[in-house]
Amino acid sequence: MSGQNIWDKLQNVDRRVFYWILFIALTVPFLSPIGLPITVTPSTQSYYDGLKSIQSGEVVVLSINSGVSAWGDCLPAMIASVHKVYDQGGKLIVWSIGYTDVDITWAKIKEKLPDVFSKWKEGENYVYFGYCPGQETNVALLATNIRAIYPKDVRGVSTDQIPLMKDINGANKIKFVLSSDTGDAQMYYIRQWKNGQVNYEKTGKPPTVAEMGIAMNKSGDMAYYLSGDEFGLVAGSRGAAELEALTGYKGDATITMDSISVSHVLLVLAIILTNISMFATRGKKK
Amino acid sequence: MSQIYKREMVFIVAGVVAFVMILDYFFGKNIPGISGAGNLSSTLQTWALIIQLMAIGLGAINLIQVHYRQISRKTNMALYSAWFMVFFAILLLLGFYKLATGVEPYPYTWIFANVYVSLGATLYAITGFYIFSAAYRAFRARNIDAAILLIGGIFVLLANAPIGEVIWGGFPLIGNWFNNVGQVPGMRTFTVVGALGLLAYGFRALIGKERGFYSEVQ
Amino acid sequence: MIENIAVLYPTDPLAIAGLWTALFLMLAIYSYPLWKENPVYRFAEHTFVATALAIGIIVNLQSLMNTAVTPLMKGSFLMIIPIILGLCMYFLLVPKQRWVSRYPIAILVGSSLGLGIASNPLPSIINQIISTVTPPKAGTAVWAMFPGSPTGDWFSFAFVAVGCVCATTYFLLTYEHTGPVKPVTIAGRYFIMLALGAYFGNTVLFRFSMLAERGQYILKVLGLVPL
Repeated sequence: MSGQNIWDKLQNVDRRVFYWILFIALTVPFLSPIGLPITVTPSTQSYYDGLKSIQSGEVVVLSINSGVSAWGDCLPAMIASVHKVYDQGGKLIVWSIGYTDVDITWAKIKEKLPDVFSKWKEGENYVYFGYCPGQETNVALLATNIRAIYPKDVRGVSTDQIPLMKDINGANKIKFVLSSDTGDAQMYYIRQWKNGQVNYEKTGKPPTVAEMGIAMNKSGDMAYYLSGDEFGLVAGSRGAAELEALTGYKGDATITMDSISVSHVLLVLAIILTNISMFATRGKKK
Repeated sequence: MSQIYKREMVFIVAGVVAFVMILDYFFGKNIPGISGAGNLSSTLQTWALIIQLMAIGLGAINLIQVHYRQISRKTNMALYSAWFMVFFAILLLLGFYKLATGVEPYPYTWIFANVYVSLGATLYAITGFYIFSAAYRAFRARNIDAAILLIGGIFVLLANAPIGEVIWGGFPLIGNWFNNVGQVPGMRTFTVVGALGLLAYGFRALIGKERGFYSEVQ
Repeated sequence: MIENIAVLYPTDPLAIAGLWTALFLMLAIYSYPLWKENPVYRFAEHTFVATALAIGIIVNLQSLMNTAVTPLMKGSFLMIIPIILGLCMYFLLVPKQRWVSRYPIAILVGSSLGLGIASNPLPSIINQIISTVTPPKAGTAVWAMFPGSPTGDWFSFAFVAVGCVCATTYFLLTYEHTGPVKPVTIAGRYFIMLALGAYFGNTVLFRFSMLAERGQYILKVLGLVPL
């Protein structure tokens, strides 16, 4: 249209142009990763310190409450965490209270850690219970009676016959919970376990909670980390990349950081551009 | 009188269940029969879980009704609704086979791994596009509030991306400060105010003032 | 440093067909934002809804068998009560007898509210207030260059404390925000805007990570990057 300058045209660009630019910007960096350095934030460092405190034989719970859609943010952190639990000689109980596709996620974790799962024995070093819906009600029950929710594991073996679960039926035998979640699942553990009535036998205090969450949880759950209700918070693919740097396991999150760098710079440039055009057209209208 | 079991008794049931949960949380160790495996609180929680598990059928019935209506009225979406019904039926049969025999048939596994997982991940990821175009069109520093929003957002964006540190060392420092300190007042306020609201709403629901949970009698 | 474990590209024809089907469905969904609404997108959308519903039903039934049916078969006859109550939920579909469905809903509501009311105040209110008013330890610096936590220095502690008071004042709606209260609520609004800006930055990371994972998937299926 006549009378439109470059700033007016910029404000009226078809949004599909941006979608294509974004999609290409996110995809192409995977072809040749650069690997920029990553500095570690305090919340991720605390999470890692918590993993390092696991002593041989201690049991931790991995609660997978994130789906395949959140793999970019949560899966690398889960893989790094499981590897660290193995390194420390700990034992793992895995379950989910929130997502039906937990089987795929657990299969992916095992696929990515052949060195761990070739040595770990199911039933002795780790047990996988699968998914049972129920949210907070489920979590409250698990604190006192795991067998009520999971009478058997995914293989169909009765919980009573699993060596790892011989003396374990609640939070009193569990050191802490690693909750991978996209929303409120860690809150259920904070409410029902961390601030509940069941104490971990070794410390005399309730089991603690740490979170591997999506990036938005860095904002939403920072308050819980700072108040001490969570001992660690690994949020987003950035947090997962920091955890990978700490554990020495270079995984998908580190590779994704290049794509994130390009896309974020693109977005910042787009925001700066739109503000310049706003001020330019505003001056013109005056 | 006939309305008591349709309304008042319902509130009493909800109140009693909630009261048992609250008793269990605060005094469970001191009151026998309330806390621990197999006792009242645990039993009620198991019952609530079972009721929740059985409720999915309602959603299924509703969806089937919606799509059946599309097919019977021969709308332009009828063909897609017919495909929905057929695919749903096939998958349900495969699932029932799995439940009956304990063995997961390969087509079920294949559909779960390649259809459900891929589509689920893709549908959630589509919001990435919209956030980009929304930021471009709406993220403008029109006033002080918007300017603060913008500045906070940009610094956190460049702190999250490793390239921010390469561009200028201050981006990760300031961005992480915003993440660890700057945003805490606002987020903590949301947490506290939200929790207070939940308490107020919960008590209102328990004394029968909030009736949104219960459908009205005709 | 342990490198990322790459999984081999499958050789089984069904597995390869699975990868390409997933890719096709993904591109079908993306045809909507990248091009326009079209029949392929609608087909993929309806496929997802059907799959999600069927899998949800099967998974719920599996859990129901584990938690209710199996114990019932083994002699826990009390389990018949929640099963009957669960069936009562379906009276929602019968207008004249809809009141029957209120009882199982009442148990659900009571259970959720009881758990929430009892356990929420401690982490979400009390611990937050304690954390806000707890000053740093003696000997802490007045100003540490980006300490990374509110108790890392006195400035951050004061910032959070003042910010929380101002932001909470903004949400108090029982009186008008005029007079001496007005600058406090304005300041509260600015603190909230800063939090929302940070939230936006983190939201972008999440959304772009999801999209990047999908973009990476295309390259994986095409064999351009390891699977």
